[in-house]
Amino acid sequence: MGSRTEVGVIGSAVFAPRDPGRMSLEEALHAVTKHALHDAGIGIDDIDGIVVAANDQLDGRAISIMAASGSVGGVGRDILSTPSGSEHAFVLASLRVRSGMYRTQLVVSWSPLEVDSISETQRLSNDPYYHRALPLDDLSSHALQANALEAKVPGLRAAAVQVTVTNRRHGALAYPEYAPAPREAVLIAGGKMLRWPITDAMVSQPAFAAVALVLASDEWISGRGNCKTAWVHGLGWATETAYLGDRDLSRLPSLQAAAAQAYQEAGVDAQAPKFDLAEVADATPYQELVALEGLGLCPRAQWVDAAQRDAFGRDGPTPTNLSGGALSFNPVFCTGLMRIAEAANQTRGCAGAHQLPGVKTAVAHGASGFAMQYNTVVVFGQHSRETTQ
Amino acid sequence: MKAPRVGIIGIGQSQFKARRSDANYPELVREAVTLAMGDSGRSLDEIEAVVYSLAPDALLGIGNAERLGVDAVGARNKRFMRINTGGSTGISSLAAAHSHIAAGACELVLVAGADKVGECGDSQTILNKIWDPTYERSLPLGTITMLAMSAIRYMHKYGMTQEDMARIVVKNRAHAALNPNAHLRAPTSIDEVMHSRMIAWPIKLFDACPQSSGGCAMVLASEDYIRRNGLEAVWITGVGHSSESYYIGDRMGIGYSADHADAQALGEACSRAYKMAGVTDPVRQIDTAELYSPFSNTEFHAIEAAGLAPLGQSPRMLREEGCFQIGGRNPVNPSGGVLCANAIAVTAMVRVAEAALQVWGRAGAHQVKGAQRAIASGNGGDHQFFGAMVVEA
Amino acid sequence: MELMTRTEKWNITYQHALGETASWFFAQIRDHQQIYGRRDPKSGRVLVPPRAFSDETLEATREWVAVGPEGSIECFTIVYEAFNNLPDPPYAFGYVLLKGADTAIGGFFRGLDLHDAAAAAARLAVGTPVITRFAEHRTGDVLDFWFELAP
Repeated sequence: MGSRTEVGVIGSAVFAPRDPGRMSLEEALHAVTKHALHDAGIGIDDIDGIVVAANDQLDGRAISIMAASGSVGGVGRDILSTPSGSEHAFVLASLRVRSGMYRTQLVVSWSPLEVDSISETQRLSNDPYYHRALPLDDLSSHALQANALEAKVPGLRAAAVQVTVTNRRHGALAYPEYAPAPREAVLIAGGKMLRWPITDAMVSQPAFAAVALVLASDEWISGRGNCKTAWVHGLGWATETAYLGDRDLSRLPSLQAAAAQAYQEAGVDAQAPKFDLAEVADATPYQELVALEGLGLCPRAQWVDAAQRDAFGRDGPTPTNLSGGALSFNPVFCTGLMRIAEAANQTRGCAGAHQLPGVKTAVAHGASGFAMQYNTVVVFGQHSRETTQ
Repeated sequence: MKAPRVGIIGIGQSQFKARRSDANYPELVREAVTLAMGDSGRSLDEIEAVVYSLAPDALLGIGNAERLGVDAVGARNKRFMRINTGGSTGISSLAAAHSHIAAGACELVLVAGADKVGECGDSQTILNKIWDPTYERSLPLGTITMLAMSAIRYMHKYGMTQEDMARIVVKNRAHAALNPNAHLRAPTSIDEVMHSRMIAWPIKLFDACPQSSGGCAMVLASEDYIRRNGLEAVWITGVGHSSESYYIGDRMGIGYSADHADAQALGEACSRAYKMAGVTDPVRQIDTAELYSPFSNTEFHAIEAAGLAPLGQSPRMLREEGCFQIGGRNPVNPSGGVLCANAIAVTAMVRVAEAALQVWGRAGAHQVKGAQRAIASGNGGDHQFFGAMVVEA
Repeated sequence: MELMTRTEKWNITYQHALGETASWFFAQIRDHQQIYGRRDPKSGRVLVPPRAFSDETLEATREWVAVGPEGSIECFTIVYEAFNNLPDPPYAFGYVLLKGADTAIGGFFRGLDLHDAAAAAARLAVGTPVITRFAEHRTGDVLDFWFELAP
């Protein structure tokens, strides 16, 4: 068999207008598509296929891919949709390029603010058999997870506050106009309680954004020359079971499984993984900690100490969420793809104001669903695996 | 670089019915999974990834309902994702699973889903919500009216009559009478179809698909895995997808690139699948076809898009030459097709399942004799997304 | 064996931003009883209803073009079945190519007897000339206009 096809990210864009009400959703998707293609230095005719991800109930369209398709170049093209998560769109697009059947893929995800109650749309994902009557939305599920973690890790609350402080500091540099949430520890700790133990300052208000990435095969990239590329060294994804009562919410075995898949493929030592930075799910600060543990970057015995030492800060040993994460800028449905885009851009040297100098490897993690039901891990490298072997 | 062949080693589908009050949604998925895993002879533990087939959440009344299906498909701590391309979801899910294996990421992938359309109260209300709120949501558009309009244009362009449409229903019901999994199995006559109640001119009750409940699952494996384990399989040798503009009004008027009467993007999807499979002469090389067609009139443009008849000719060929029936040339929908069973989330997967059973020689009473190569298709959105797959022995 | 069911209703409200293009289109209908299309520069097609970009070429559209009120029927259907939350049957609607437009816009056909389906269908045949009529009280919606057979 010939050498394996490598996949690289060669372009990305985030479209987050100040006043989303001025454009229709389709116009916003068209804009993010054009920006991503421009960033990749290509036209829509170079795109062999598209994978999108959105939530019908959030969009108010019963099949969200339909009206969106034209905006992202779907006419005459192969376009699929993975509503399970924005990260899954990246996974499928990567697989399609790797299969050798597609030279390029465009990935687009979005999270509008047109619904009267995001919480209600989330609550509708509860089964009508047993759980629909409960006030169980994403935030409640994250709170239940935080609760379970606090019971296992003494002093966790202070660490959660510190993680929030760090991410807000990062967000102030990366997305200053979009990160209005409190930055001071005393404000974060003393915020209004939303769902015990999550305060309003520990999360970020929903924001509108559309995110797009362009992927290409190594053969296509070498034919073009001149592409700033983040190579996918490893990819892993896995799911928990759905009923929260069937899970130990203080653990996340599906993240370990996803990390194991990605690390095996990337040749990363699962016992001692090392990256120049990480972009991980952080709808709440508790998520970031449990994500870092699942990625093998910080076991829970060290959470409190590491947070106190600002280990996850830009200048620390484990730089995490230099973009500020969802704790700073929260386009609810597509935060997972944003983490992947951020890690890719850091690797490509295109991250802008929050670029960490000399990034050679990065790990991205995205989570979707109640209490991080789905977990996806992507390992990026500056050079293709062929050249590093 | 040519993509590797991906094999189908297990198939499971429900006996489709209007309602399944005996099973909740995850249980219906599990039923199909159990059938498919049993058929494959492998254990659920060995499955490395699951692709979950689920069309609009609203039809089930559960947002992101795939989350509830995780245990039904044995996916705890495993690779899992859900696909939704409307009515073509089932075939798109198989295409996604095909990519998992062709990419070398997995050797054994399960594709599964179910639907309970009969339980949702009124599917046309929800299907009205697929239209864009800017311009078209105020109009009483639904899948029936949208495709009734396609019939009007096809009639205008090619002279198809309502009797021609009825002939498709008669053909498919006769096929479904031989298929124990079909929902509507009673044979019918042109007369009975013509006298059935008018829903949206020219589509009458008998011209329309039922609202079915049931599940479908398939097990896909790499060629290497199949050889190592000495398994029987049939092969997916061609995959193609394409789409039209969402705007139906753009598929008419002046200077259109696709006519709403035809199924141009389906033609593109089939061409891409044929090219990958090395099929250059479908009429001679395709032994049978399972073409997604929820209304009688749409089967004609699907047949033409699949290259089995020149544009506009298929009504005459059915009427005068007996083509497209079991026993005739290029039998289409030997299972009875979508007209006889439509559990939306999986219907397009059932097309591939039935095509696979045909080339495997396992289609029982509705077997097309000697079938070696078949094409299956799926339609989604407002006649917008199309998937095609070539399956071979 | 007792089998139970549970009733659930979805109650969600959306505020969909229409953007500048659609907003201007609806304002012209509301204030001036005039329908407009927008030209896709690459294909030359005047898109009705208008969009800020063409989904076939992904290029921005340019140039507002007044279209109608005359037009011809591109396709139609007549609905005889009741569906929840949709109008009481019978009603006819479909797509009309307005004069000056290259794509067809959806709307109701009013003012003809629908009780004899075949006869009504013959009167609505593809190519039939129609005229656009506007409601006296308009709000800026596609329901502000409909089509009637040209006299």
